[in-house]
Amino acid sequence: MRVPLSWLREFVDPGLEPGALADLLTVGGLAVESVDCPTGGTRGVVVAEVIDVARIEGTDKLHLVHVSDGTAEHEIVCGASNYGPGDRVPAALPGAVLQGNVQIGRKKFRSGLVSNGMLASPRELGVGDDHAGIWVLDPDAPVGDDLTQWLGLDDVVLELEVTPDRGYGLSMLGVARDVAALTGAELRVPHPVAPTGDPGVPVTIEDADRCRRFDGRTIRGVRVGPSPAWLQRRLAAAGMRPLSNIVDATNHAMLEIGNPIHAYDLALLAGPSIVVRVARLGETLRTLDGVDRALDPDDLLICDADGPIALAGVMGGEHTEINDHTDAVFLEVANFSSRTVLRTARRHQLLTEGSKRWEKTVPPESAPLAATRCVELILATAGGRLVGGRDTYPNPPERPVIRLRMGRTRSTLGVDVGDDRQRELLERIDCEVTGEPSELRVVPPAWRPDLQIEVDLYEEIARLHGYDRIPETVPSSGQVGGRDPGGEATRAVRRSLAAAGWSEALTLPFAPEDDVEALLLPQDDPRRSQISLVNPLSKEESVLRTTLLPGLLRAVRRNVNRQVPDVSLFEVGRAFLPPTDEEPGAPGGPGGVALPAEPLLLAFAACGNFEPPRHDRPGRMADVYDLLGGVTVICRALGIVPPGVTAANDPPYHPGRAARLHRDGQILGVVGELHPRVVATLGLPERTLAGELRLGPLVAGGRRAATAAQPSPLPGVRFDVAVIVETTVPAADVERAVRAGAGENLSACRLFDVFSGSQVGEGNKSLAYALALDDPARQLNDADVTAAIERIEQAVVEQVSGRLRR
Amino acid sequence: MSAVDLEALQADGLRAYAEAQTLDALDAAKNFYVGRRGALTSVQRSLGSLPENERRDLGARVNAARAALAQAESQRRHVLEEERDRVVLAAEAVDVTLPPRVPKLGSLHPVQETMEAMVDVFVGLGYRVATGPEVESDWFNFEALNYQPDHPARSLMDTIYVRAPGAEADQQGVTDLLLRTHTSPVQARTMLAQPPPVYIVAPGRVYRADIADATHLPAFHQIEGLAIDTDLTMADLRGTLVELVHALLGDVPMRFRPHHFPFTEPSAELDIWLDGRWVELLGCGMVHPNVLRACGYDPEEVQGFAFGIGPERLAMRRHGISDMRLFVESDLRFLSAFPA
Repeated sequence: MRVPLSWLREFVDPGLEPGALADLLTVGGLAVESVDCPTGGTRGVVVAEVIDVARIEGTDKLHLVHVSDGTAEHEIVCGASNYGPGDRVPAALPGAVLQGNVQIGRKKFRSGLVSNGMLASPRELGVGDDHAGIWVLDPDAPVGDDLTQWLGLDDVVLELEVTPDRGYGLSMLGVARDVAALTGAELRVPHPVAPTGDPGVPVTIEDADRCRRFDGRTIRGVRVGPSPAWLQRRLAAAGMRPLSNIVDATNHAMLEIGNPIHAYDLALLAGPSIVVRVARLGETLRTLDGVDRALDPDDLLICDADGPIALAGVMGGEHTEINDHTDAVFLEVANFSSRTVLRTARRHQLLTEGSKRWEKTVPPESAPLAATRCVELILATAGGRLVGGRDTYPNPPERPVIRLRMGRTRSTLGVDVGDDRQRELLERIDCEVTGEPSELRVVPPAWRPDLQIEVDLYEEIARLHGYDRIPETVPSSGQVGGRDPGGEATRAVRRSLAAAGWSEALTLPFAPEDDVEALLLPQDDPRRSQISLVNPLSKEESVLRTTLLPGLLRAVRRNVNRQVPDVSLFEVGRAFLPPTDEEPGAPGGPGGVALPAEPLLLAFAACGNFEPPRHDRPGRMADVYDLLGGVTVICRALGIVPPGVTAANDPPYHPGRAARLHRDGQILGVVGELHPRVVATLGLPERTLAGELRLGPLVAGGRRAATAAQPSPLPGVRFDVAVIVETTVPAADVERAVRAGAGENLSACRLFDVFSGSQVGEGNKSLAYALALDDPARQLNDADVTAAIERIEQAVVEQVSGRLRR
Repeated sequence: MSAVDLEALQADGLRAYAEAQTLDALDAAKNFYVGRRGALTSVQRSLGSLPENERRDLGARVNAARAALAQAESQRRHVLEEERDRVVLAAEAVDVTLPPRVPKLGSLHPVQETMEAMVDVFVGLGYRVATGPEVESDWFNFEALNYQPDHPARSLMDTIYVRAPGAEADQQGVTDLLLRTHTSPVQARTMLAQPPPVYIVAPGRVYRADIADATHLPAFHQIEGLAIDTDLTMADLRGTLVELVHALLGDVPMRFRPHHFPFTEPSAELDIWLDGRWVELLGCGMVHPNVLRACGYDPEEVQGFAFGIGPERLAMRRHGISDMRLFVESDLRFLSAFPA
């Protein structure tokens, strides 16, 4: 809502600078988004008459000018000379301020001359680009008057953000009421004149819930033409395009009073009466914008004998609109319910200045005043005479009587607002207040339909008293705060991965429908069961992700395309899947709708070097062990045993370079190199890696506290063993055998060499482990080593059909 | 041997030590004078053949000469060792201005970390963390929060609706399932699940039907706060939010002004003064009695406040980020600025 202050001042003049008024309104509940000032803050410049001009000897182009502001003469030094005696010019005398907050004072020149201010060009006044000379004004410019005021350029416009409850903020009068309430300045309220004379067109309201009032007025003998300049300037300042005197008058009245108005060419109405009703199946209407609209049985219409002539509250019909030949005007000053206009406006995607106001509720009481103002303006700008009218208002609504317990106001706001003060504040906004000392009965004014229940009055009292007077106290919750165990654990996961070289990404959870196609998933893979959106922002965002992988791989590609070749990203986020018995969604509430399952996932993606090359060390490409290392790191941070690992042959991964992660008999996820076909389809660098696991089961129990074994104070023994097994035996199985053989005194087991070659036999490999045994009860010796090696050998033979390399 | 000879021998030895340029030369000189077959050693050996009085006298002088030589040798050895170390260690010098060897460091997303920082403040104030689903039912997202049936926020222009089996669409395509537009549904979920008092914060992702631009994303984050007790006031609300702003942004000027939300009354917004203008930071208010009733609480018995804060906006302020899209582009040149 744009509020030109000159217009506002017709109703209230708080005597405040625009900035101060803007602050006042903002903290009062009508937020001012901007203060537009056409002259950039120019003030104190007056219209002056030039008396004489004389060239100053010895200077290049300076002139000594005498001007009069009607009361005194002023001597001014000026560089320009495009004016002469008798001309009216803008004079910025000492004390004036030009745009950009340039303060004007007395200026002394080297020659000893003194200039008492300056004469100004249009550009210096912020009203144009012309800087060729001093602005020579109209000969009838009133000498001594404030220049910007005389030009109407002092008009500051406030741009308001009006919340849905404060519909009154969409009218000059409404804003003026708030200014008066907040400052105590006197409010000049115009008075409605009820229609008299020939009642004119009869109106039948078929749906009194949706159309509560219809004040119709008839004016004959108008001359349609452009509005006078002041009206055009005013509408433009308020953000509306001037059209013709009749239409401009309806818009002026709407902006001023808040009640939208529609004007019809009476001659084009098919008599004898108007009906307000809902649309019938198959009806159409060509609206003012030239669009033929198929009407919905939920649309409320204004109809004449031939059918629809307007979409109520939204837009008029083209056939009956005001035109150059209009002689008689029928004004519709009605009241429509917010819901009906809102639904119709959205259905036809027609958001107009009118519908904007109906949506925020217009009180039926404003109709006669808006009608009165509109008629006045039409008669003044288009001529004609008011024939008469009729006000159809079948069921005036009862105004609510609200019980206000003033003690509760205080205990809700936490401010000590006294009973008398509360009463006084409510009366400032025209509430009728009666009742006991501590408990009031409050009838809000018609212009505040948003005030319905007791808490609404708390807000009114708070804002009129001043939100800034609410103290700042911090309550004690009486409980120990904390994260939920899952949230605490998830944070530990994220931080441990970041500390281990992975960078956290957040990708948008929308995906195109074919996103999972490139992953070569089997037909029955649950990740193919995508949940689609009713109104996606684009085709590329038409479903919710069932896996984080495609989004994260897009991020990899984006980095590579931007010449960042070494990528290691992770993301923690939710995927969306149809609910199942094993993984149900959250409860949907009383409606009983089933919500999707939202498993919490952790995904990895990497390509290029995991460790970049340095001057002293070559780089190292990321591989599957970096991903498994990431998994190990998070398990350590969570205080849990890392999941078991087996070779995976699962799309979208390389069949020989991926690992399944197992925990408690369930597969948590898979990490590994992507299948070369997936890499090619997605345009990723060779050997791109990815992985995804369900984080929910890992974090559900929160972080486990670490338990520590007592280190042995006695010397232990350290020795190596090398195990020869067939190449196909997994290293994890070999280690398990070695550990089992070493027994309970094993305190360290580290694989330090993997070797295959003729020395260990064709089809075999050798795995060498560095072991340590400790016994807190006694010192260990060579005999213990010999015994351990024998046990290990036996375990290796039995469990992995291997032997020790001696 | 005469006393003169012994003195000459000592003087020669001292000179030889002083002239030794290497440790090897010093060792050789030492061997020549005091070694097993050294000059002084042979004098000492000859003492046995001397008469008692001469032997005592010469013995004393030999010992003195030996002590003087030993001291000179030790001093010279010290000098030569220092010299040797200096040369050897100088040759071993490395350039300490070469790049340090830093373990590979990742990064944490600034929005997540800003949320964690906000949660930390509320945990410190005694709040617990609650969560809710991102795909919500109309009931939790709107109905329970006192939204009228035709509220504009419920339109397809503002809210992204979800198609799902069992979720029937109306003529406009609106279903009972949607991507939550705020974290406020967690208010209702929490109140339905537990009796008062309630002090929770609910961080999470929220959605709007906005095309991504410098200041909008279709999926962003919010932290909801809810405090319900017997006597909470708007002053408690204001004080709590001031604590948050002080903790995260320091001592910035703030402005508390009226606003409107369907689920709070009175409602407010908190602005902060940044870069020469007021910037809206968050919305809040006293929980509307209709919301309390919908969640099974009695508004005559309990009252409290709620607030919703966008971490993206706060992260932009904290880190000097001017385009919100950077948060979801996953560009490592951007992400790596935020250390683990």
